[in-house]
Amino acid sequence: MSETSEHIVEEPGAEEFGSARALEVEPDWFKSAVFYEVLVRAFNDSNRDGFGDLRGLTEKLDYIQWLGVDCLWLPPFYDSPLRDGGYDIRDFRAVLPEFGTVDDFVTLLDEAHKRGIRVITDLVMNHCSDQHPWFEESRRNPDGPYGDFFVWSDDDTRYADARIIFVDTETSNWTYDPVRGQFYWHRFFSHQPDLNYDNPAVQEAMIDVLRFWLDLGIDGFRLDAVPYLYEREGTNCENLTETHAFLKRCRKVLDDEYPGRVMLAEANQWPSDVVEYFGDPEVGGDECHMAFHFPLMPRIFMAVRRENRFPISEILAQTPAIPSGAQWGIFLRNHDELTLEMVSDEERDYMYAEYAKDPRMKANIGIRRRLAPLLENDRNQLELFTALLLSLPGSPVLYYGDEIGMGDNIWLGDRDAVRSPMQWTPDRNAGFSQCDPGRLYQPTIMDPVYGYQAVNVEAQSNSSTSLLHWTRHMIEVRKRHTAFGLGDFHELGGSNPSVLAYVRTHGDGENDTVLCVNNMSRFPQPVELDLSEWEGCVPVELTGGVPFPRIGQLPFLLTLPGHGFYWFSIKPVEDPA
Amino acid sequence: MTVLAEELPAHLPEYLARQRWFPAKGRPVSEIAVATEQSLIDDGALLLDLCLLRVGFADGPAEFFQVLVGRRHEPASELEHATIGAVGDRIAFDAMWDHEATAFLLTALREGRTYGDVRFVPEPGVELPAKGVGRLLGVEQSNTSVAYGEKSIFKLFRKVSPGLNPDLELHRALRSVGSNEVASLQGAVEGLLEGEPATLGMLQDFASNSAEGWAMALTSVRDLFAEADLYADEVGGDFAAESRRLGETVAVAHRELAQALGTGVRPADELRAQLETRLDAVVSQVPELAPHEKGIRAVYARLTGDIAVQRVHGDLHLGQTLRTPKGWLLIDFEGEPATPLPERRRMDSPLRDVAGMLRSFDYAVYHQVILDEHTDENEEQQLLRRADEWAIRNRSAFCDGYAFASGSDPRAQAAVLRAYELDKAVYEVIYETRSRPTWAVIPLSSITRLVAEEERESDPQISL
Repeated sequence: MSETSEHIVEEPGAEEFGSARALEVEPDWFKSAVFYEVLVRAFNDSNRDGFGDLRGLTEKLDYIQWLGVDCLWLPPFYDSPLRDGGYDIRDFRAVLPEFGTVDDFVTLLDEAHKRGIRVITDLVMNHCSDQHPWFEESRRNPDGPYGDFFVWSDDDTRYADARIIFVDTETSNWTYDPVRGQFYWHRFFSHQPDLNYDNPAVQEAMIDVLRFWLDLGIDGFRLDAVPYLYEREGTNCENLTETHAFLKRCRKVLDDEYPGRVMLAEANQWPSDVVEYFGDPEVGGDECHMAFHFPLMPRIFMAVRRENRFPISEILAQTPAIPSGAQWGIFLRNHDELTLEMVSDEERDYMYAEYAKDPRMKANIGIRRRLAPLLENDRNQLELFTALLLSLPGSPVLYYGDEIGMGDNIWLGDRDAVRSPMQWTPDRNAGFSQCDPGRLYQPTIMDPVYGYQAVNVEAQSNSSTSLLHWTRHMIEVRKRHTAFGLGDFHELGGSNPSVLAYVRTHGDGENDTVLCVNNMSRFPQPVELDLSEWEGCVPVELTGGVPFPRIGQLPFLLTLPGHGFYWFSIKPVEDPA
Repeated sequence: MTVLAEELPAHLPEYLARQRWFPAKGRPVSEIAVATEQSLIDDGALLLDLCLLRVGFADGPAEFFQVLVGRRHEPASELEHATIGAVGDRIAFDAMWDHEATAFLLTALREGRTYGDVRFVPEPGVELPAKGVGRLLGVEQSNTSVAYGEKSIFKLFRKVSPGLNPDLELHRALRSVGSNEVASLQGAVEGLLEGEPATLGMLQDFASNSAEGWAMALTSVRDLFAEADLYADEVGGDFAAESRRLGETVAVAHRELAQALGTGVRPADELRAQLETRLDAVVSQVPELAPHEKGIRAVYARLTGDIAVQRVHGDLHLGQTLRTPKGWLLIDFEGEPATPLPERRRMDSPLRDVAGMLRSFDYAVYHQVILDEHTDENEEQQLLRRADEWAIRNRSAFCDGYAFASGSDPRAQAAVLRAYELDKAVYEVIYETRSRPTWAVIPLSSITRLVAEEERESDPQISL
């Protein structure tokens, strides 16, 4: 990026780079895909500088393919001062030098596509770094071409109804800029000024950023912090009509110019508000293809701690139907804290008490821990949670390292606790990097339980009973049944409150029906299920293929071990003839 | 006499003895006869009759029980357990298990049909599905239920008394004020018994994905007891938030009942006499109660003046509550089954229901102490301390919720509340002594505690 004498920031076009081989266009691929979130910085270091990089990630694509992942989700790898984990983007068209180059990214895309793996990345639409040339120009030249790229004001009183998101660090959504002599608007950190979408030039500039990466071959974007694009007085400045209209415009660009590519909304809101981000249900959805279901995740944890299904049943009952062309993204953990924004105060206190016993485990309104330590490294619970993730409605998103049960380091700042180097081997630096250990971007986990000598891919690859092999097998089982990705969801109830049972059904006639029964309790439980709709059918357990007793008129009795679960395929009995 | 009335009674002693809903096991039965029979289907593969059986007892008045009798030449093999016996050239069976019969019930309700004295009455404005087959859900002590899809549940009353059943009466009243605290009434089957109207069955909204409050509470108790060193407010299975919401639900249901059916006052003397009658009867039969008698009477003596009354549930406990994904529902407004029907339909203090729930929290946690296998006395003492915490925590959370939603804290009327709790516990003492002697300690301990509380309050010197 350079600046000409007219103060125009010049930016490269995609034609200056190669582009990855294309995958066949499959419009619904995202509905049954298994996603895998990987931090470039934390996965594999190819050049011994202590930072994971794009080339390092490319080297590990065989592992990702072996695991059964369909799509990689990469948090931002753009050029950035890294004051917010790369979500503070300094140049939308450049790669952070530690991670490599745009050419390295094209190579990663190409190699991933070769293995049938798609790649999506985070794109922050709402704001950029205060070091972005657009902002520098805007501060210096209020009347220049970028003068109106941000939300400026003479005082800090406007939009008073908008909440402050990072309550731990920010006291206002306005910060005074001594250079321009005005306040600028920011919904996140004060070093991340919000872009002014009321300015048509900003809309065009950001759509061109989308085109740049799409031309290189990327398969989609996770649009970060989308509810906040516009501001209107007297509102909470979230989920505004104008924001939805702009997202519809972006979707049309994808549909017209890049079919098969997707938009995933990051909107940490109630499901009834989030469905708005799928757009018009009459046309199957004309906004984002996917959105994260945020409130589900804390309720899975709550249900298991309470040993009853209702925290999950409640939130699923409150989740409205989504357009035919849309899909939820669901997750247990990701690179952020376990967010508790979408729970009541009473429930938040409960979650802190149960899952964040040390105050250092809290961050913002959430808990910064990985899955395995959250579950006290209990294999039964790890399996139950993963089985729920892979069978509840929505596309599952795995977080790197959780497939081997990696730990966290709550003594690191902010959310770095859950962003430590991937543990490949018991060797130096966990096999993540060959650099001097002191150069690592952050230390590896070294405690006796979760440290890399105990928990690593190499050891677990060699043990057929490892969590890694188990996770891989479950992903494989999931892929055999379209009902998991595409099926309707129907909760079965049952008199035992500790058991969560549901049926996923896909297709008419030759349909695929899967029954999932989960024991939220640590104690063995019986359950009687009303399966009369499938009278005469036989449930076949999915991991071993064992047929269970035929379904009759009477309630179907199952017993489950503590934190146990079953997946069954329900099949009509074949005539012996 | 029809062939049914003639040949059915011969099979009934053996048949009734097998039924969970026939509560007269062990009692001297002097007579079983078909009191009324109404044909519903009189032609075809299935014959269907609604029969009220009159069962005479040597030790008390006769009681009436309802059976929906189906007759087929060849009942399906799966109906074998529901068979009553041969009648004419057909086999008679309990038709609540028969798909054609349950489908008929729904159709008759939808169309509002009448057969002789039996009327199928849909609630005004209710749209019932065109057809549906009922799935038998469970056989309970006083009724048998079938579900139609996930929209409706039909409950056939087994024990039928002359007079309007409060279950139907209160559900109808609650529907009239748009209550969300009960499963909404969709229709009813009404008939005649000894010249008086009688309630035979009810169709309601089906809370398909629900679990009983009793099962929910036990889940919490088991979670607590599995932790050696955690207090009741520290364990993951803490139930207090649910108890509080349950308190809110009960308070709202009370307000709705008052709105629909009015309020009144009853002289406390009258209530006291009622409680004392029960106490007299139990004390004479259970010597273990004698040491507490004076203390109990002292609590009852404090009932003076007038007491605000309205229609109430009458037999509220955790087993009469359902947790659904939307919140709590109250079910089964029949009142205490052993009490005569006119008595059950009288206005009473809403604190009777509150007391019932408080007793239920005690039961949920202390019966688990009895069930648990302890290795020594220390362990039992430890569990009892945890149990006390759980009971106190959930009882007060329930009262908090009730106070929040009603604007009046039940604990503010300590004398009345305590009297009702004692009355319930006295009833439990006689029940447990007869049927589960090892459990009698549960109500007896509660009585000890309640009497002690009373003494502390009435004589402040003691607490100093």
